Amino acid sequence: MFRRSAVTAVAASVLLLAGCASSTSSGGSAASHTLTYLTFDTPDLTPAFWQKSIDAAQATVPGLTIKQVVSPNTDRDTYAKQLEASGQFPDLLESITPSQYTAAGLLQPYDQSWVNANFLLPLGNAIKGKVYIPPTNSQIIPLVFYNKAEFAKAGVQPPKTWAEFLAVCAKLKAAGETPIELGGNDPFAAAMPLTGAISADVLGKDPQWIQQRYAGTVKFTDPDVVAAAQKMRTLVTNGDFEQGALNVSYADSITQFNDGKAAMYPMGSWYLGSIPKSQWNNIGVFPWPTDDGSVVIPFSVGGSMAISSKTPDLAGATAFAESWSLNPANLQALIQGDGAFPMIKGKTLADFDVTVSPTFTNSYAYVTDTNNKVSSIGWATNDDALPGSLNNDFYAAAQALFNTSDVKGQMATLDQDWATATQ
Amino acid sequence: MKPLPRWVRAAKQDFGLRAIAALGLLLYLVFIVVPVLMSLRSSFTDENPLQSQSNYIGFANYSEMLHDSELKASLTFTLLLAFGVTVAANAVGLAFATLLNRTQLSYRVLRTVAFLPQVISGVIVGFIWKTIFIEDGLLNNVLMHLGIVGQPVDWLGDPSLAQLSVGIVVAWVLSGFTTVVYLAALQNIPPELYDASSIDGANSRQQFRMITWRMVAPATTISVTISLITVLKLYDIITVLTSGGPAFSTESTAQYIVKVAFTSDQFGYASAIAMALLLLSAVIALSVTNLLRRREVSL
Repeated sequence: MFRRSAVTAVAASVLLLAGCASSTSSGGSAASHTLTYLTFDTPDLTPAFWQKSIDAAQATVPGLTIKQVVSPNTDRDTYAKQLEASGQFPDLLESITPSQYTAAGLLQPYDQSWVNANFLLPLGNAIKGKVYIPPTNSQIIPLVFYNKAEFAKAGVQPPKTWAEFLAVCAKLKAAGETPIELGGNDPFAAAMPLTGAISADVLGKDPQWIQQRYAGTVKFTDPDVVAAAQKMRTLVTNGDFEQGALNVSYADSITQFNDGKAAMYPMGSWYLGSIPKSQWNNIGVFPWPTDDGSVVIPFSVGGSMAISSKTPDLAGATAFAESWSLNPANLQALIQGDGAFPMIKGKTLADFDVTVSPTFTNSYAYVTDTNNKVSSIGWATNDDALPGSLNNDFYAAAQALFNTSDVKGQMATLDQDWATATQ
Repeated sequence: MKPLPRWVRAAKQDFGLRAIAALGLLLYLVFIVVPVLMSLRSSFTDENPLQSQSNYIGFANYSEMLHDSELKASLTFTLLLAFGVTVAANAVGLAFATLLNRTQLSYRVLRTVAFLPQVISGVIVGFIWKTIFIEDGLLNNVLMHLGIVGQPVDWLGDPSLAQLSVGIVVAWVLSGFTTVVYLAALQNIPPELYDASSIDGANSRQQFRMITWRMVAPATTISVTISLITVLKLYDIITVLTSGGPAFSTESTAQYIVKVAFTSDQFGYASAIAMALLLLSAVIALSVTNLLRRREVSL
């Protein structure tokens, strides 16, 4: 047996630089009561937001100092692993994927009674019954957003069934409109129709499908999964996506849809934060259509920060994390900018002092209503999280369906990738 | 007073040089040799960045590489890219250098401009070219405005075109370097050779073939070798430009290594691939260098 030595040449330069940059952080945690907190910046989660939110939570824990560690990009999981490999795993980690760390025992579960007391779906992101990230908010991935004016021009209504959806696409094309905006240059965006189809058609009928895939009793090459994936290919061959869909970036897809260049946009509910006020009454929403018209909601419960099991001050870290997670001001930015649906018990949207679009309110109803909520494949952070790099492989399969009619072959590749990821 | 021994005097005289050399050696050891050795050791284990313990598994990681279709695809793309870009960048570099081999101020300014792609960060290069290649980008707008194409071209959306696009960008970056290398070589060619050949009646094409091409042979060796090595370990430009897509069609081996290490958590396997890539790069670089050195002598 080898003791874990350290780092390979693969990451040597990155880690050495990272080591130089933050070598004083957790080293002094125990003595100085300083904890490190991994965050990431987005257009809505700005450095100013983090500073304000950290200051507020820090003030509730006397003697605690938080040192922020900012991920170089939004892929905080990769950065967290680089930090772990160089012996600098942060004490607190914002919005990571806990399933990637729990097997190694790197995260500390929250006290379940605190979680039960404060959140609407206490086990929404639980892994083997334990909660590693307070389930403060959720997303639906994907919803289908549509341009009401474009629909009216083509004389169509929001579809409920897959057959209706294809008919709407055909009528939109006949009216000279582009049916679907995709932004497929970014793999996750390219995969939205595939995510919708498999989540709705496969997990909608069998919510335990991913657990069964882990057990090896089902496969991606099974007829029901191939049939669902075939729907993505059908949209490609029908020419329902915008011209050069894989050459359009996610950022540009938002602009193009907001500018009315396409009639529909399958995207995660975070798009709600990108609807310009001028379009608030013109953008509508419906769930991904199913064969029989039943409503299936591909759902993912996210949350705030995870706590390292190695933290030298578990009580301080927990107090900080709990204070941060329950502060309505922090969720305000996520609701308005990121379209996050709040999941804190006893609070309505008004309690967060937010102004949201009618489309947000309509979308949020899919969360609060009683309906068939299933894990969004490729996005779930609970026991249904996919293993290893399978999220990336899943997104890549969607891109590949633009250039191959071998749908079953792509699903077979996913089965091979699954075998590699779980070996 | 007894004079100091000769070796002590020599050591004192060369102290500054020795100190600088020692510092360089130390940095080389710390940043190159030690990580390579650690990677080599890791490649024989099942090391995982999230686990504190790992086990010795012999050559299992190396044998796994033989059955890894994604590695095969990324390696094929990387090798094709290295070959194509090296040829293109050196051809463009030599052409630019020939054009810029003048002494006027304007040419000196143009030389600086020609070197710019090499100076800009790979991340910035990726962002700039992404705005050029995307559907509504500069290139498609120009091509459509000129009537060359009727519809936007899928530069980054079609797998083959995406590979070509990556090649164009990397060749553009490397051409800055190759231009400077060839320019330095051209400036060392005695003008008398061209004068004498003119008197003998040689035209410019013959002058290029018989004088320029032969005299820049040492520069070609350096330029080709460094171009190859640069492309074989390419990561940043592709990550920003295509993220390795669509559907992994532009994934370089370096990108795949990082993915295996930090997304799939297979540090040991990633180390084995890194060692294989290192070996492959060394073999290619040494072979090409030997070949080109022999060519220098024969010319």
